[in-house]
Amino acid sequence: MNPLEPSPRIESVREARQFEMDTLVGVVLRDGVLLSLGLIVIGLFWRWLRTGGFALDYQIAGTNLFEFVTGEVGLAVQGSVRPRLLINLGIAVLMLTPFIRVAVSMVYFMGFLRNWKYTCFTAIVLIVLTYSLFLR
Amino acid sequence: MGGMGGGIILIPVLTALGIDIKHAIAISILSVIATSSGSASAYAHDHITNLKVGMFLEMFTIAGAIAGARITLASSPRPLYIIFGLVLMASWVVLLMDKHPSGQKFTQQDAFTRWLELEGSYPDFVTGQMVEYKAGRAYLGAPLMFGAGIVSGLLGIGAGAVKVLIHDLVMGLPPKVSTTTSNLIIGVTALAGTSVYLAAGLVNPGLAVPVILGVVAGAFLGTRVLVRLTNQSVRLFFLVILLAMAIEMIARGLQGIWA
Repeated sequence: MNPLEPSPRIESVREARQFEMDTLVGVVLRDGVLLSLGLIVIGLFWRWLRTGGFALDYQIAGTNLFEFVTGEVGLAVQGSVRPRLLINLGIAVLMLTPFIRVAVSMVYFMGFLRNWKYTCFTAIVLIVLTYSLFLR
Repeated sequence: MGGMGGGIILIPVLTALGIDIKHAIAISILSVIATSSGSASAYAHDHITNLKVGMFLEMFTIAGAIAGARITLASSPRPLYIIFGLVLMASWVVLLMDKHPSGQKFTQQDAFTRWLELEGSYPDFVTGQMVEYKAGRAYLGAPLMFGAGIVSGLLGIGAGAVKVLIHDLVMGLPPKVSTTTSNLIIGVTALAGTSVYLAAGLVNPGLAVPVILGVVAGAFLGTRVLVRLTNQSVRLFFLVILLAMAIEMIARGLQGIWA
């Protein structure tokens, strides 16, 4: 047997790993969207209990996602938990969903598939996204 | 919904309701994250999506989206209406021709695409067999995807139709793989665009929340209603809607120029 040829067993392990990664990516995307929608719906319902209306009349001032999230969490820690907090966190979770998907893919390419080429590509995507999330 | 019908329908509706086009674009691109991630999750799970093709092309679309969104921020509303109207017109023409373009299949890969390992296999649910395929011409697909990213960031749409065309015609991906992989790319591209609009203060939760919930409910119901309708009636419906919206958007953009 040619030692340079990958054995069929290794190849199938690789394939199984690729399958696992597809599944994991699917789970991250699905759960992220569901969590985000859940937070938004609960926030709206809570607001309705409080004010009797669904109308949201606030603006998010120009900010980046990290300032946005830390600001919201800061308010929550100070004890001012408002329906708005849940809705804003819902929007933040929605934005973070594709970001986490990319991060998970990178860990997988690096840690399990040992594919350095694609680890680099994914890292570039992650860096550009992080840059965009810090824009202001 | 067939690679079309998200933002491209949403934005004309929002502007017709009197919402400023830049706010409409910002909210649309945020809602695109929800719809594309939702549908991408199902397909990734079924192992149809090609993650390598997705990851490689995402490098180009996100750069394009950031550039496109910046152009929108700097631009005045009038040209945005006109560009949007032209994109609607282009979609209308593609729909009118009603040809699903199928690109050539690659049996021999070029060196660059082979280096990128862009090939794969997906399960065919009818026959139960794995279908193997090789992609090609990644050197051409990449810069074109940068352009698709610009359109996406500029107009706040997924630009799924453009991405599918590049996958099909240039890179020779099978139709199923090309649609689902484009969905995956759209989510990340929309995030890059959304960040720019968020930083500019254009994401207004009061508008974004009902739109996100509406679009997700619409996508969910839409797929269930669509399967009951014939392709012809769906097509006719979209032909009428797209043309009306294209004319309306272009008219708005031109309004007052000759007056």
